[in-house]
Amino acid sequence: MILTEEVQIPLDRQSVFEALNDLEILKKSIPGCEELTQVSERELEALVVVKFGPMKASFNSNVEIDPSQGPELFKLSGSGDAGVAGFANGGADVNLAENPDGTTALTYTVNIDISGKLAQVGGRLIEGTSKRLAKKFFSNFEEALLEKHA
Amino acid sequence: MSATAETVQDRKAALKGLGTSRKRVEDARFTQGKGNYVDDIKLPDMLFGDFVRSQHAHARVISIDTSAAMALPGVVAVLTAADLEPLNLHWMPTLAGDKQMVLADGKVLFQGQEVAFVIAEDRYIAADAVDLVQVKYEELPVLVDPFKAELPDAPILREDIADAKEGAHGARRHPNHIFTWEQGDKPGTEAILSEAPVVAEEMVYYHRTHPCPMETCGSVASMDKVNGKLTLWGTFQAPHVVRTVASLLSGIAEHNIRVVSPDIGGGFGNKVGVYPGYVCSIVASIVTGKPVKWVEDRMENLSSTAFARDYWMNGKIAATEDGKILGLWCHTTADHGAFDACADPTKYPAGFMNICTGSYDIPTAYLAVDGIYTNKAPGGVAYRCSFRVTEAAYFIERMIEVLAIKLNMDAAELRAKNFIRKEQFPYQSALGWEYDSGDYHTAWNKALEAVGYKELREEQAKQVEEFKAGNTRKLMGIGLCHFTEIVGAGPVKNCDILGMGMFDSCEIRIHPTGSALARLGTISQGQGHATTFAQILATEIGISADDITIEEGDTDTAPYGLGTYGSRSTPVAGAATAMAGRKIRAKAQMIAAYLLEVHDNDIEWEVDRFVVKGAPERFKTMKEIAFASYTQAIPGVEPGLEAVSYYDPPNMTYPFGAYICVMDIDVDTGVSDVRKFYALDDCGTRINPMIIEGQVHGGLTEALAIAMGQEIAYDELGNIKTGTLMDFFIPTSWETPNYQTDFTETPSPHHPIGAKGVGESPNVGGVPAFSNAINDAFRAFGLTHTHMPHDHWRVWKTANKLGLHG
Repeated sequence: MILTEEVQIPLDRQSVFEALNDLEILKKSIPGCEELTQVSERELEALVVVKFGPMKASFNSNVEIDPSQGPELFKLSGSGDAGVAGFANGGADVNLAENPDGTTALTYTVNIDISGKLAQVGGRLIEGTSKRLAKKFFSNFEEALLEKHA
Repeated sequence: MSATAETVQDRKAALKGLGTSRKRVEDARFTQGKGNYVDDIKLPDMLFGDFVRSQHAHARVISIDTSAAMALPGVVAVLTAADLEPLNLHWMPTLAGDKQMVLADGKVLFQGQEVAFVIAEDRYIAADAVDLVQVKYEELPVLVDPFKAELPDAPILREDIADAKEGAHGARRHPNHIFTWEQGDKPGTEAILSEAPVVAEEMVYYHRTHPCPMETCGSVASMDKVNGKLTLWGTFQAPHVVRTVASLLSGIAEHNIRVVSPDIGGGFGNKVGVYPGYVCSIVASIVTGKPVKWVEDRMENLSSTAFARDYWMNGKIAATEDGKILGLWCHTTADHGAFDACADPTKYPAGFMNICTGSYDIPTAYLAVDGIYTNKAPGGVAYRCSFRVTEAAYFIERMIEVLAIKLNMDAAELRAKNFIRKEQFPYQSALGWEYDSGDYHTAWNKALEAVGYKELREEQAKQVEEFKAGNTRKLMGIGLCHFTEIVGAGPVKNCDILGMGMFDSCEIRIHPTGSALARLGTISQGQGHATTFAQILATEIGISADDITIEEGDTDTAPYGLGTYGSRSTPVAGAATAMAGRKIRAKAQMIAAYLLEVHDNDIEWEVDRFVVKGAPERFKTMKEIAFASYTQAIPGVEPGLEAVSYYDPPNMTYPFGAYICVMDIDVDTGVSDVRKFYALDDCGTRINPMIIEGQVHGGLTEALAIAMGQEIAYDELGNIKTGTLMDFFIPTSWETPNYQTDFTETPSPHHPIGAKGVGESPNVGGVPAFSNAINDAFRAFGLTHTHMPHDHWRVWKTANKLGLHG
């Protein structure tokens, strides 16, 4: 499943890029994020609770971030294991473009595969839920970012 | 004079024998909730088993940590493959000559595969403990498309047999290839295809689906360590075969195993196979010394025990320009999932797919079937059909329609032109079957007349004009189907399951007071055996069906038989019942002659008694004879009145039918509405017309489900997308149309009472009728073929592709 969307953020590109590397902002942004810890420079561990319709799943996730192409591109990939509920694999490319007015156009492409019982039971809910979560992430992100720069 | 005639009629009616719409004796308990199913069995100290199942479709199992589960109070044990290996039970043989993991041995090959078996004091603790078992996997590339199985980059699924060049059914050309099965005349068929004036070609896919019986699979195993006897209750369509397999697998002597099939809440093929749950419950009972129950839930049922169909049938059909069929070619790619667990007679790895010449006189034909491994659940059972007959019938009935389009000919006329004619029976088919009897033209004409076929076509043509003129958004489809089934497996000379010949049996005891007990090797799952077998016997021995108890399913008491599936109960066990009844009658004749003081040849049978020829006032009823057999010393005759018959059928039976479905389709929503469904069945001698009608209604509704929406679908990761009843279509009364049933009666010439079997005909014939109606609706707009299931979305897409949405 591939999700793509563009979000406008009224801040300069460098600030947005830095925020993507900011653990505190990320934690506030990820919907259902209960824990987020940095394991190494590029490795994070997260505990994320997600509701797919009637099912609630806690994902123990390992995420690898790749800011090396910043500030134009921020990449991440990872996998999450929700035990008997299933598992997820995926990644995201976040492109940051400077608008003429100095604000930033954030375009994200999320590629995610959900498997296991979640896919069986919640098959019809996954796409909608994933879209909602991705949207939620970036609206949370914008909110946290603006709060920080307020 | 008239009084006597009336009396004979009255006596006949009192027997409630053949042809009587006798009410089902089973229903008193079913309608009052008093059935006794596996899950109703409760034994003292009984434990419950539950599976840890794979979330992955293909992965290596790195480790299994059971410590947290074992620490949960109430958990007794957690079994893994490592525990079963010393018993050599971590793998088990399948019915198709392959083997299957009981618990994951190093890797998992389909989502839902059994990985560990938790045994706990109640089912809730077991379910909690399942969540606590930590399994580490390493994901492997997933293969879901059988056409990609032999590509260079395809993952090898079955590493255990990767190097085996020979399988149970001959040569294997690739590690993911199971077998190639060929029938008929390949060069002859190819020559006809290259020279014929008209050749139509189509890929016909019969999608993967599932029998989904109301009751899921389950078992209760109880090992009595004192007397060394294992009792196994379970949802078994073939209890005797299960006993033999259990004995061979466990090493427990067969006389020390008792297998009981209690009431079964529908089987439809789902309960023919042997499943890891059965094996695990047995092992768990042996290990713990306590009874262990395992019952799967609905998701487990849909995702792990026995799917059906999944045949990609590529067909070519050759004909003259005026529609005489010259030859048929079919290559099938059969997706068998991770283990070849098809339930077919040993010599038929693609079942009776070679009945795919259908009702037609096709002089030359060729069939090849390639079985392929994929990362999907094993199975391939005959879902309310006789070993792939439904695939065969769907294939030929679609090919006929495709040919009719190519010839620009009416599909009903094309069928009539090619039917095997009445005088051609017994008919030798190009793919090896000898059709015992049939009268297709009579049935077909009756069906066409009953629905007003000519008028329907005129109405359809008018509606197409109206549609084109923009006056309606609805189209009308006329779905035709004339199917020939092949049931009653089968003759021991060519039909066996795990080496056991497919005979069946009946044992009858007549009690002194003239009532009777009959036991059979079959097992009812809702078919109404206790009702109909008593009727067969009533007519044979002259005792009222109400005075005959039918028992099945307990291997300690019932005679050995191969069970109930493939519409085999009436053709095989029904024949055994009639033959055992005739043995009773033969002995009764000797007793009656002694009692009447005449020679055996001087008396004759009349409904319920032996009568002295020419002296109708001198007779002995079966009741009197039964009493005498226990109370009098009769010279030269053993006391008692009992008989056993093991019946090896000389041939299959070939029920047939003519089905017509009229459907109205909303082009803009894809919603289809069955306006009329006419079903004419010829099942030979009709034992109980009411039960036949019930069978036809049920089978047609399952056919509706399959054709119009029911499927087991996988995504590219091997996730089952239809693993719950939210996505897996089961029709309710809301979706179920009215059916009009009808019949002709062409008795089987080789069956003792001429019966052929009917339970599966409506599924076999119904699916093509529904599907043909959908396809036919769009014929005027250039559609040749569209795949099932025809749910609203797919029908809408078909209309959209044809440019009907403007």
